[in-house]
Amino acid sequence: MAGLVPAILFTRGKKMRGSRPRMMKLSMTSSLRSKLVTALLLAPAGLFFVFLLLVPLAVVLLFSFGERAPAGGYVPAFTLQNYMDLPARGKAFFNTLTLAPLGTLLTALFAFPMAYFLAVRTSPKWRIALLILVMAPFWTSQLLRYYAWMIILGNKGLPSWLAMVGLTDVRIINTPWAVLIGAVYGYLPLMVPPIYVSLEKLDKRLLEASADLGATPTRTFLQVTLPLALPGVATGSMLVFILLMGDYILPQFLGGGKVFFIGNALVDLFLQSRNWPFGAAVSVALVAIMFVTIYFYMRFVLSKSDTRRAALV
Amino acid sequence: MTKHPDHISAEKFLAELRRFQKGSVTRRHFLGVTGLGLATAVLSTAMPGLRPRKAYAGLSGTLNVTTWPNYFSQENYDDFTKKTGVPINVNVFGSNEEMLAKLQAGSTGWDVLVPTNYTISTYKGLDLIEPLDLKLFPSYDPAQQDPRFLGPGTIDGVTYAVPKDWGTTGFIVNTKSTTENPVSWKDFFAATQGPLSGKVTVHDYQLTTIGSAAKSLGYSFNTVDPKELAEVEKLLIATKPHLFGITSDYQPAMRNGDAAMAMCWTNDAAQLHRDLPEMSYRLGKDGGEIWVDHYAVIKGAPNRDAAYAFLDFILTPEINAKEIEAHGTPTPDARVIKLLPKDILENPILYPAADQLSVLEYGAAETLTNPARAELMARFKSA
Amino acid sequence: MNHSPSVIEFRKVTKRFGDVVAVADNDLAVKAGEFLSILGPSGCGKTTSLRMMAGFEQPSSGEVFIRGENVTGVPAYRRPVNMVFQHYALFPHLSVADNVSYGLRQRNPKPARAEIDRAVDEALAMVRLEGYGKRRSYELSGGQQQRVALARALINRPAVLLLDEPLAALDRKLRRDMQIELQNLQRDVGITFLLVTHDQEEALSMSDRVCVMREGRIVQTGSPRELYDQPVNRYVADFVGKTNFFSGPTGAEVLSIRPEQIEIAANVNALPEGLMARLPVKVLNRIFLGEHTEYVVASDKLGEFMVMAPRKSEREAGVYDIGDMIAAGWRAEAERILPNT
Repeated sequence: MAGLVPAILFTRGKKMRGSRPRMMKLSMTSSLRSKLVTALLLAPAGLFFVFLLLVPLAVVLLFSFGERAPAGGYVPAFTLQNYMDLPARGKAFFNTLTLAPLGTLLTALFAFPMAYFLAVRTSPKWRIALLILVMAPFWTSQLLRYYAWMIILGNKGLPSWLAMVGLTDVRIINTPWAVLIGAVYGYLPLMVPPIYVSLEKLDKRLLEASADLGATPTRTFLQVTLPLALPGVATGSMLVFILLMGDYILPQFLGGGKVFFIGNALVDLFLQSRNWPFGAAVSVALVAIMFVTIYFYMRFVLSKSDTRRAALV
Repeated sequence: MTKHPDHISAEKFLAELRRFQKGSVTRRHFLGVTGLGLATAVLSTAMPGLRPRKAYAGLSGTLNVTTWPNYFSQENYDDFTKKTGVPINVNVFGSNEEMLAKLQAGSTGWDVLVPTNYTISTYKGLDLIEPLDLKLFPSYDPAQQDPRFLGPGTIDGVTYAVPKDWGTTGFIVNTKSTTENPVSWKDFFAATQGPLSGKVTVHDYQLTTIGSAAKSLGYSFNTVDPKELAEVEKLLIATKPHLFGITSDYQPAMRNGDAAMAMCWTNDAAQLHRDLPEMSYRLGKDGGEIWVDHYAVIKGAPNRDAAYAFLDFILTPEINAKEIEAHGTPTPDARVIKLLPKDILENPILYPAADQLSVLEYGAAETLTNPARAELMARFKSA
Repeated sequence: MNHSPSVIEFRKVTKRFGDVVAVADNDLAVKAGEFLSILGPSGCGKTTSLRMMAGFEQPSSGEVFIRGENVTGVPAYRRPVNMVFQHYALFPHLSVADNVSYGLRQRNPKPARAEIDRAVDEALAMVRLEGYGKRRSYELSGGQQQRVALARALINRPAVLLLDEPLAALDRKLRRDMQIELQNLQRDVGITFLLVTHDQEEALSMSDRVCVMREGRIVQTGSPRELYDQPVNRYVADFVGKTNFFSGPTGAEVLSIRPEQIEIAANVNALPEGLMARLPVKVLNRIFLGEHTEYVVASDKLGEFMVMAPRKSEREAGVYDIGDMIAAGWRAEAERILPNT
């Protein structure tokens, strides 16, 4: 109510001067007010975006054109040398750009049946409990969990059990395979919920309609369930892919330092050799690659699934 | 399941982990490789009940000490607070490079720093630490220190840092899982590429990994000569497929039997040997690293008075002896050595024979800032 | 081979969900080419019956035959019937054309692209949606979605088209139009339609035959006229059209008289000749319904009952006001004695 007062006063003032019709003025002031309210509501998010995202990104971009100080750090300059040196981390880019998508794919392959089981095959009274169990590993320290995997995948773990069935000399720990296993394990809790949500939303009558029209269960899954769950798969994959692209702890622990990701290159550049400008250039390249990858990925996903649904998830 | 004598129990392993989580595993261990150091554990000893009578007049505020994990006696720090009324904030880091990066990035509020020998000249050059006023901590007596450890802290006759304790970088061999008997870095790399293939780790640290490889080829631990570095690179890249891992956190692999040999620091060696007597620590006959950690005061320290009071307190022989007993790293102070129990003094891992030490080198400041070594390490790790 | 003139047949079909008996020991035969409705309130088992025909549910006991073949236990995707779902269940990720062609594309071997396209065009033309093929289902109105669902089912030329409350989601006017359209469509394509509804008007107006269900059992099956004129019991009479019930002396039977078969006049003498009953009544309420007017009247002997006066009679006899004392009566053939069940 209080908010109406200025609007009415404003209208009166105008009216005395005998200008435009009253209704128009009222709507104009209220639209002005709603714009102001919108601006105020968006301000925290906007400030967050600018100061915690754009400003750091701008600083990184600025650093990437600078030079390394003799004792490490940054001195202002304008050089493209850091970008020309990028091939020196080509192997790290290659490792990341092959293992991160592969890890994401594997995680999705493991997460989908779990989410499907939870959303379709589990009675509602067990669903919440099981979903919480999926998330449970997040309650303990990530390092602790990776240490446990170091034992499981270590030579006294899985390989020694494989040896009992005749598969000798299998090496898992400190190989890319260990990193992939760790990725599936570590990121499953991020992948399952979005797929679960999209499967749970799925109208079961659509599956009946498909069967009614002659589609076998397999074809129904491929032609109805999967496309309609795609937005959830896309969301989960995006989350996992982004985190995996920047991960350095996982390759350090389960790759034993022999599987070198961009994240590891960045840790070394910023914390060991303190070559900040080169580190900044590597970061910029990583952000650019991620941006382009995600852009094309989203376009692909949107074209494959119903646009409106995909945009909502 | 058969019982592996070289295999620690899951319980014990978890206990180790818990210690790690509390910030008490060995120094450069983990935080360094994970980069978590910057965000770490600020262990506060500030306990409200401990603010007592002031023995040191005029002291107030909090003291910020930046050091390595498991590198101090909590009891000593509590006593300092009791005496002075000044609580201590402990910041722990994983590597010298990280500490330096943090200081270079800007104001930290730190007062006391624990730098390793080869970084001191860099800190001095960047004007990050102050020349020490020895009159302000009379408990420190230069005459009582082993002279070989006094060099790095003194630049152009001015003392910038005083020795805290020292150690070596060698390698540890599990004598139960191999009959190989490497005694030099040359042996180390030969065994890695030969009979111990797949069972060896080297540090995820350019100084020691490149330095030790250089020693095996007969070059200086600190070489930055391009031709020599090219040979080191060839050796390391040829060795990589035979390595179990490139990690500074090698205790788990050694303990559970994944690794039979590891590049190793004194502290880790002492801990491994204490629990598993078959762990044999060796210094390379062809050389290697000796290191000494120091106390230094940050230039413009917010609590400079308390910093000097802390140095005076902690370097008092009786107190320093408790410090050494707590973390087990050798001291260069003769007065403290007299107070130490026999088992520490007679442990050859902590106090090796003098002739073994004579071939060791300090890491040089040059290697810390040399881009060629950093790039070599990156190529080695990503190969 | 067991040949039968029925397209779908239930033989002693029972369906239990736990302790609840949804369908109890039913026999039902749907004749080729007819439009049959299953009518009943919610929970009477009509939808379960439909789902057992489609193959979404399997009977607990009894057998289901389609075109004389025992399909008991055969899953939905192998039955030659198609369904129009209550809320259409169109695939939101597919265009209208892809929805319509869905059934053809499941066939093995898959028909040629051109053949599918032609069939889709024909199907869309049949439901008057030419040119809508590229649209998404959510871009269409309720009535249009309904027609897409019809096209999607009919393109497969099913033995029977099953319709599950297909008009329930539409507004009243549109529902009327669709009723006519469905009837025309059924006549044009010559496919058997089986519709499930709780709306008696819908069932009576469209169907050749209606099957009334109650608590899992079929109560009566017959043409709409048979059900209306010769209901087997009070339940059917009550469900199919409006009627007045007057209790008999024992309570085991009731007298049913349809309101439109009761005549009214200003007084007893003004009632036509040949009536079996003649009563003075008082007008309690009057509702104008357009083509006729509904009165509620009360007599001393029989209590309140309803009378439907056609517009035509009003023109002759005029309109009565609430509180008027008038007369009502009916012929002998209007009376129907029914079991009170």
